[in-house]
Amino acid sequence: MYISYNLLKTFTKIPKTLSTEELASLLNLHTVEVEKVIDLKDQFKNIVVAEVIEVKAHPNADRLSLVKVNDGKLDLDIVCGASNVEPKQKIALALPGAILANGLEIKETEIRGVKSSGMICSEDELGLGEEQEGILVLDKKAKKGQSLSEHLNLDDIIFEIDNKSLSHRADLWGHYGLARDLSAILKSQLKPYNEFIEEINNEEGEAFKVKVAKEDLCPRYLAWKVENITVKDSPLWLKNKLLAAGYRPINNIVDASNYVMIESGQPLHTFSAENIEKIEVRLAKKGESIKTIDEKDRALSEDDLLITSGKDVLAIAGIMGGLDSAVNTDTKSIIIESANFDAVSIRKSSQSLNLRTEASARFEKSIDPELAPLALKRFATILKELCPEAKFISQASDVVNYLNEKVNKIELDYSWLCNRIGKTIEKEEVISILKHLGFTIEVNEDKLLITIPSWRAVKDVKIKEDILEEVARVYGYNNIESSLPELKLKPLTANYELKLEREIKNFLSQSANFYEDYNYAFVDEKQLLKMGIETSSYLRLANPSSQNYNLLRQSLAPNLIQSIILNQNNFKDLAFFETGKVFLPIEGSYDREGKKEKLPLQEKKIGLTIAGYSDSFSKAKGVVEVLIKSILGKNQQVDFTILENKLSWFDQDWSVNIKLENENLGYIAKVNKEVADKLGIKLETVFSEIDFSKLLDIYKNIPGVKYQEVSKFPAVERDLAFVVDKKISYNKLYKTISNFSPLIAKAELFDVYSGDKLDSNLKSLAFHVSYQSFEKTLSTQEVDHIQDKLIKYLADNFSAQLRDF
Amino acid sequence: MKTKLEKIKQDFLQSIKEVKDQKSLSDLEDKYFSRKGELSLILRQLKDLDMKTRQEVGKFANSLKNELKEVLEKTRKDLSREKTSDVVDPTLPGEKISTGALHPITIVRKEIEDFFATLGFMSIDGPELESDYYNFTALNVLAHHPARDMQDTFYIDSKDEDKQADLLMRTQTSNTQVRAMLKHGAPLRAIVPGRCFRCESTDARHEHTFYQLEGILIDENINLAHLKAVLEETGKFLYGPNTKLRTRPKYFPFVEPGLNGEFSCFLCQGKGCRVCKNSGWLEVLGCGLIHPNVLRAGGIDPEKYSGFAFGFGLDRLVMLKYDINDIRNFHSGDLRFLKQF
Repeated sequence: MYISYNLLKTFTKIPKTLSTEELASLLNLHTVEVEKVIDLKDQFKNIVVAEVIEVKAHPNADRLSLVKVNDGKLDLDIVCGASNVEPKQKIALALPGAILANGLEIKETEIRGVKSSGMICSEDELGLGEEQEGILVLDKKAKKGQSLSEHLNLDDIIFEIDNKSLSHRADLWGHYGLARDLSAILKSQLKPYNEFIEEINNEEGEAFKVKVAKEDLCPRYLAWKVENITVKDSPLWLKNKLLAAGYRPINNIVDASNYVMIESGQPLHTFSAENIEKIEVRLAKKGESIKTIDEKDRALSEDDLLITSGKDVLAIAGIMGGLDSAVNTDTKSIIIESANFDAVSIRKSSQSLNLRTEASARFEKSIDPELAPLALKRFATILKELCPEAKFISQASDVVNYLNEKVNKIELDYSWLCNRIGKTIEKEEVISILKHLGFTIEVNEDKLLITIPSWRAVKDVKIKEDILEEVARVYGYNNIESSLPELKLKPLTANYELKLEREIKNFLSQSANFYEDYNYAFVDEKQLLKMGIETSSYLRLANPSSQNYNLLRQSLAPNLIQSIILNQNNFKDLAFFETGKVFLPIEGSYDREGKKEKLPLQEKKIGLTIAGYSDSFSKAKGVVEVLIKSILGKNQQVDFTILENKLSWFDQDWSVNIKLENENLGYIAKVNKEVADKLGIKLETVFSEIDFSKLLDIYKNIPGVKYQEVSKFPAVERDLAFVVDKKISYNKLYKTISNFSPLIAKAELFDVYSGDKLDSNLKSLAFHVSYQSFEKTLSTQEVDHIQDKLIKYLADNFSAQLRDF
Repeated sequence: MKTKLEKIKQDFLQSIKEVKDQKSLSDLEDKYFSRKGELSLILRQLKDLDMKTRQEVGKFANSLKNELKEVLEKTRKDLSREKTSDVVDPTLPGEKISTGALHPITIVRKEIEDFFATLGFMSIDGPELESDYYNFTALNVLAHHPARDMQDTFYIDSKDEDKQADLLMRTQTSNTQVRAMLKHGAPLRAIVPGRCFRCESTDARHEHTFYQLEGILIDENINLAHLKAVLEETGKFLYGPNTKLRTRPKYFPFVEPGLNGEFSCFLCQGKGCRVCKNSGWLEVLGCGLIHPNVLRAGGIDPEKYSGFAFGFGLDRLVMLKYDINDIRNFHSGDLRFLKQF
């Protein structure tokens, strides 16, 4: 929203010593966010009035023309794309060095082989309105060579306000409301709005008939009929005020209503009164439609509130008027509407119609219904000035559907206020701030009984904390000295989850040399299908921002594998990890308040992916084993067991479960060839996923590593190679050997062989086996004895044959 | 005998000066030190001397022999150094020890978590897939507040018992405020770092997936001055002891009053520069006193307790720290980005 400095000054005194930058800063620190301070003179630097001399076709482009213009001094050639350019027009010429409203800097340039010494501007390019079609044609009497700001008599400073910063304050959507806040900040007097109103006391004729059928959606409706008006251009003062606030002048009637909105924040609408006998406010019926003033046909829904004449739809209430009832140059009598509509209803209609207007933006913030009569009177005052011959018919009709005698009061303790702010602000100061803002206060020792003004009672001030905000922000948050709270010491309880996650991340990044990756919680359904994953059980976004991310991930695999694909051309080996949540369509543990069901299960996972190493599968197993040992203790035994339920994208052979005791912590799997080809993976890729919560459960309860006494006696090491059927896993054999006797201290695999020297169904596994006792040095006989028994046992149970090597 | 040895020494030192290559050096070595070399010959004569002289001369001869050998070795080294093919370059890179890296958001998150731990704030986690109640209603966001629009919030394609779209991706870490109050009660000090989601298209400054770090402190008599002090300390921790805090009004439904917080720019100290877009201030947080409705939703009596809440844009802090100007890098999975931290 654009706020005019000149207009603010008409409502409250602003000290001349205060620069506009300082004023902007005050508004920023106390009320709203000022995004920019614009001096209208600077806005039109190097933009001058020029006259069109001749218009010729561009030699090399059909849609462009070659225009000769005179800027009072020189004839200049300009290439122009507008179709409405004609000789003798006065136009706004942007010369080299000019910067347009959209930030475009004008330079001398060549367009399709023809030199252009500037640009003829449209309204939109100048920031004077929304008209983009064609150039802005100025008044015939405009003086050649005059700067555009001089021509428009623009001598004002504009504060561009971020609309989001006043979304909770309907009262700030007009200059008067902002002036009120400013008067509190500056401690200056605010002129009563009544001073800008001349009462029109006319009893002649019959008040216009208004019927509101839907009372809850229309708390107030005022309509006033005025005859004998002349629709014409607005006087310069009005045009300039509109231009300063960013509105395009249209005609005196429309301009006056827009101007009153700019001042007061109350949207008004004017209907051409021909053919309108009465006003009826009702909801749309099925199948109804309207052509709005922007010449678009709009189908209406039964939730849209309408202004009708009883038979015809005149306007979509609070959003936009209809074309048929719009004021035009032939209009001789009008109906002025100053109404109040329900904020939520306007917002819903505006959304469903996809139509946002200055009026709807204001109504959906909840406007004070007490403002409607004031704005109407202000409009009448201006209209009387613009059209002295205008004839007001009786008084305005005023339908009131809310309880205006409802008084909103808040009681609070002054000491509470100071306590919550953390600073003692003098009581007089508190009262002065609130009074400037329009509150009335009764003081009874420590108690303050505060009456909320109607424009703040609509929405944003309801409780004593809201009063606290008013006092503190006007006093200035930056004038409150900070002070650290003095709190009771309380040790933090052990946060195992955080600790575990950090340990995992540190190990993977610093010891295993993996790179941490962050991926979206969403996955691409197309990718899942390529991986052969059934997606029907996936939680789906109702409104994905892109179809590539429409499902909630159930595994970290798809996105981490995607990272391999993304990087495979730049790196020959890759290792990523990620910790993050997956989302499953079964109940989890978080409640939903008031609902029987819990939230869907959100499990934290650890995902690892490795690609391009000489044996990525083996590397993955190594990393996972050491990761678990580094977290849970070096004495932990991590097993990799054959996986029964292989996922669609797993390699048939190269996939294992990760087991600790009997707990399955996750899996390691190579991506199979078919899926790799479909996804375009060029490197052999292995993925592992570990369940964080299972790891956490173990981690929390793990007794910790205990030192194991070392034997004083030497170990005897023997190498044994066993030939077994390929179906017998290392894991089984290893466990059997290492648990075979208490005197076997360690068994370690050092070679695996299968090939020419063995039958094709056989393999050889060679172990270093250490024999050691805590009581004595083992003799050769003792070792032989155990070893013989071991060999026999393995022969009996696994048909293992000892191999010579 | 001693004189003979002295003579040999002189001759040797003279000859070695004339040595120009390894070949003549080894000839010289043979001449003096081989089994039939001059020194060996003379040493062999030692046995003919009487005990006393033998000891004395023997000692002398040995030290002389060592001295000459040293000269010989030094010359050998010097000769080999002169040959370019033998020159070493000690500045060559060392053995390549590979390293991995943490994501920059993880790094900054940890620093801030540790800082708040020193002030007694626990770090907690909440659900990313949330119910409408905890993300909006419990936070005093009214039924028709614009934040609930489909254009701002990712909804899950499912309906609850009342046929309403109830599940959504949390739009703020504040969803955990009321959950934390219900779980831990008052007094309470906690931070919630985590990922949030908003339905918007991505560009250099916008991401549909982003990170916040929320903090709440609830106790008796907590006020605005306390809030400011905690944030000031955070600013000093992040950007140095001279960092200043500036606050302005800003509306958030779950705090009253609501404030916007800015730290003085660490690069220009408030003078205005590229990083702060010439404003001198870095807009990094929102905060305020917790709205009594939110305390009530958390089962805490707003007449007995008060508290403050604040939220940092965690990714914004990371971008400022590392001078990253495109937010899309964070989820790019691009190793060229991830390698740098």
